[in-house]
Amino acid sequence: MSGPHNALELIIPSDFKYLGAVDAAFQDLAREFSCAQRWIDDFSTALVEACTNAIEHGNKYSKDKRVRIVVELTDNRIIGRIQDEGAGFDFKKFLSGPPPDPLSERGRGIMIMKAFTDEVRFSIDAGRGLCVELTKACGKTGSGSPGDGE
Amino acid sequence: MKINQRELQGTVVLDLQGKLTGGPEAEQIRATFKELVNDGKKHIIVNLRKVDWINSTGLGILISGYTSVRKAGGDLVLCNVGDRIDSILYVTKLNLLFHAFESESDAAEYLKKGTRE
Repeated sequence: MSGPHNALELIIPSDFKYLGAVDAAFQDLAREFSCAQRWIDDFSTALVEACTNAIEHGNKYSKDKRVRIVVELTDNRIIGRIQDEGAGFDFKKFLSGPPPDPLSERGRGIMIMKAFTDEVRFSIDAGRGLCVELTKACGKTGSGSPGDGE
Repeated sequence: MKINQRELQGTVVLDLQGKLTGGPEAEQIRATFKELVNDGKKHIIVNLRKVDWINSTGLGILISGYTSVRKAGGDLVLCNVGDRIDSILYVTKLNLLFHAFESESDAAEYLKKGTRE
């Protein structure tokens, strides 16, 4: 019997119906590492949100484009990289911009990614699309969640 | 995403089931909100007991429904919100927009009183 896997790679079509598969695969991986469920849910929320952005804003739901997801778990932290095949967008204004109007139906994706991770980084590779990198320190003992702060 | 519609104490309860993530399936919910408002049913409880999680697109659909019923003079509230969705509402500050109740009977009672300013 081999030990726990510490990484996963998924390539999904540009369709929201595959977001559930991303969540399920990550949940299974993290449980092998005995991570706290709340911590798993938090990172998975950010991961799914990054995939949502990649499908909607990056690939614009194109059937010809894919989203590549790589997640690596170590003893200290987890890193998720989500790569789309789109033309990129001006992410800087979203990273530091004001929160959306409460009645706006859009504009909360990066807010969610930032809230549930320690760091969100964007990079654009010419000809390869936008890559979002999510980093979060490992939480194996029920570390705090943004929703606990009230 | 599955949607079940029923009535409770003069309000409409929408039982959602699955993942609220946008896309064609979730567009059914948007259409349902529109239909309800057109039929004059403007006090709506969205029951999230069987919704695993939600993304930003799904939040947009809930906001769309909220906006529609508020414009019609009604209200839309949530009930049975799980921890994962509760965290998302909190970080996006949408907990300040949506009234969330632990039970649908509490939600129905609130809508009957029409207490929101």
